[in-house]
Amino acid sequence: MTRRLPLSLTRFTVSNRHRKAAGAAAAAIALALVGTACSPVQPAANDTSSGAQTPSGQDVFGEPADASQVKQGGTLTVALSADPDKLDPTLSRSLYSRYVFHTMCEKLYDLGSDAKVVPQLATALPTISSDGLSLTIPLKQGVKFADGGTFDSNAVKISLNRDLTLAGSARKSELGPITSIETPDPKTVVIKLSKPFAPLTAALADRAGMVLSPAAVAKLGANFSNAPVCVGPFKFASRVAQNSIKVVKDPLYYDAAKVHLDAIEYRIITDSSIRSANLKSGDAQVADSLSTQDTPALQKDDSVTVLQSQSLGYQGLTINIGNSNGIGNPLKSLGTPLAKDPRVRQALALSIDRDALVKSLFGGLNTVACSPISPKSEFTSDAAQVCPAHDPAKAKQLLADAGVNTPYKVEMVTSNNPDSLRLAQALQGMVKEGGFDLVIKPVEYAALLDQQDRGDFELLQLGWSGRVDPDANIFNFVGTTGSQNVSGYSSPDLDKLLTDARQSTDQAQRVKLYGDVVTKLQQDDPIIYMYRQRNLTGVSKKLLGIQVYPDGVIRTAFAGFAK
Amino acid sequence: MRRYLLNRLWQSLVTLVLATIVVFVGVRALPGDPALALAGEDRDPESLRAIRQQYGLDQSWLVQFWQFVSHAARGDLGQSIRTGAPVRSMILSALPVTIELSVLAILIAGVIGVGAGVVAAVRRGGPAEWAANALALLGLSVPHFWLGLMAILYLSVALGLFPASGFVPFFTNPVDNLHHLILPALILGTGLAAVIMRQTRSSMLDALSADYIRTAEAKGLPPKAVIGKHALRNSLIVVVTIVGLQLGALISGAVVTERIFALPGFGKLTVDAVFQRDYPVIQAVVLVTATAYIVINLLVDLLYSVIDPRIRVRGEA
Repeated sequence: MTRRLPLSLTRFTVSNRHRKAAGAAAAAIALALVGTACSPVQPAANDTSSGAQTPSGQDVFGEPADASQVKQGGTLTVALSADPDKLDPTLSRSLYSRYVFHTMCEKLYDLGSDAKVVPQLATALPTISSDGLSLTIPLKQGVKFADGGTFDSNAVKISLNRDLTLAGSARKSELGPITSIETPDPKTVVIKLSKPFAPLTAALADRAGMVLSPAAVAKLGANFSNAPVCVGPFKFASRVAQNSIKVVKDPLYYDAAKVHLDAIEYRIITDSSIRSANLKSGDAQVADSLSTQDTPALQKDDSVTVLQSQSLGYQGLTINIGNSNGIGNPLKSLGTPLAKDPRVRQALALSIDRDALVKSLFGGLNTVACSPISPKSEFTSDAAQVCPAHDPAKAKQLLADAGVNTPYKVEMVTSNNPDSLRLAQALQGMVKEGGFDLVIKPVEYAALLDQQDRGDFELLQLGWSGRVDPDANIFNFVGTTGSQNVSGYSSPDLDKLLTDARQSTDQAQRVKLYGDVVTKLQQDDPIIYMYRQRNLTGVSKKLLGIQVYPDGVIRTAFAGFAK
Repeated sequence: MRRYLLNRLWQSLVTLVLATIVVFVGVRALPGDPALALAGEDRDPESLRAIRQQYGLDQSWLVQFWQFVSHAARGDLGQSIRTGAPVRSMILSALPVTIELSVLAILIAGVIGVGAGVVAAVRRGGPAEWAANALALLGLSVPHFWLGLMAILYLSVALGLFPASGFVPFFTNPVDNLHHLILPALILGTGLAAVIMRQTRSSMLDALSADYIRTAEAKGLPPKAVIGKHALRNSLIVVVTIVGLQLGALISGAVVTERIFALPGFGKLTVDAVFQRDYPVIQAVVLVTATAYIVINLLVDLLYSVIDPRIRVRGEA
């Protein structure tokens, strides 16, 4: 059985500019890297923080506003591509609710532009005990909730307990094995764990780290989303169902002097062309999730800046290996050659020319991905960025070795939106060369999720928006007991690597372990990672201080209109 | 007339019950459920179970249907599964937007359609008829979505005449309200204007060749009175029927128009609820829409008798 070995010539750098050179020098590189995992994918480009005319493929995070250049007041309109769900940090699941929360619900920790965790309502990173079972978090003092209540350790405890116990909580699994939350004094919280859980700090830099007003929780209970109250530069004002959300400046905010805008209105505009048009007409000053097709024109527009930040997630193809019974039931192989034989899956991976895909379909705005670990992650390594090169001849050979007749027909379920269909059609043409006959089955998004969970698919195209800690991007999807292991993949070796990685508090060890995880994933291919999206945000030049970080959340709170 | 009215009311009630059952079953027959749509990419079996339990989705369809109907009968339309907001208030805030948009669209369509139809009929065979026909063809064939996008690009982005999105309630600022609604109403009204124009033209042509018009002309009435008072009035019966029948098309057009212009209306509420499998919202909007549709058709039937006394006489006979 032929496997993709680390020293195989099938792996090399896939970065555009390196590809030709790498092809010529592949043999030499392979020899030089015997016993290692070949060359990594190069980061798309160096970060830069400004410039509307920045070439595609470079991150443009935006810059904080210079207080002397902005005027006080005004309402900012943000065109959002989807309606956030419940404005309750415990129950919320939508990415878009994070855009709104960022302005009105601060967290214990936040993410910096370098994707590293930094304190927000805490004053320092947590002190972790030597056995990894206790985290001590120091808190800011003199902070008030929007309803005038005092922020203290008790409020943190109430919020965390709510995350752990409220019916339908989307945060419970993110918080890991917490046994108790202690409050030795108003400015200190101690979280006790039954097992070490390294992803906890990163989880506290997301919705699990948001602190709710105890008075509002007591008053509204599970209906907190109808009038959410937290600590933030802005406070909730109103919501028109499926249309708009408005937040207004909170005078009680501890850093209110840094807040320039009076209000922010989030207007839901689902079509990307219309979001772009609203940006151009000035009806909206910020628009999220620009289409890669609209972006080049906006980049040339003198009145607009396009912020770019590479996603921590990925877009990939999930192969149904053992999920023919539906998720949550005992694993059972689908019985197809693609499900049974890793060589067939490897052949499919080798048939995909990721480089051409990214270039032709997305104008080079997205970047090639071959693993769940972003090159921007602090857990990246050479091993985590190894990438199989496009090699249709090798793919055909693998199919022949596996005894599969070509063209081998595979049905792929995909979302029926135009972007997904374009991607599917490109893949269809691409994998033909490698001996596959890809049949596209487009379905609506909710139906896609249903088919996925029921295991009613052979191959499925869907992505993941990404989280800061790699555990949240891998364990649930390929771990045997993962809640979203829709591939039905099970490998004791991989499970051990993932468990060791989530329990280790040693950064270097975690980096090494995740490198090993990627190597194993590329041997078995339960998910074929294809590319990483770029979060594209259009910003009017009349506005200063809008920033986008790798978590994809648009930072609008400290922006202001230019004088 | 009374018997006729009672008969129509009974038919309406049966239609309403059937519509409610069809939508209740139909929406549940769709793959996926509110829990899946709500959880999106961030789902785990435990949370899905909790959501299904919280909203009674784990109970039998019969129990769920009874709960919906019994609550609806008391005026309680439930809570949105996605946002947690009461469905009744969501509908009450969305309905005025769509009603205002539709009324404006009907007004615009009426003015353009009747005007162009009369001109096309009176100036038959001339360039005016040709232009009116060409406009009608365009109005019927160009999709709202494309037209809306073009209107935004040219009238909002390039010329800055109208806002590209947003809504201001009428009682907050009537001028701003109309400024925000004129463009969407124009787009929504184009299809209807084309239908009205074609119908007015053909009815007017029939009327103009009728004996009573010849008599009116023979009496020496001025052309304005012949066309306006006699021919047009008789042609309007068909036009009013058409407007009533086109209401469904207007509401489906509003779905697209409201999404393009980010108007917080009923159409947008409906389509978003379907995509999000927000059962309580879908059921409630269908209930309200079906009721509105039935009531409006009833009113159109009654309006016949006002416009054409012969119908009233026959109904009473």
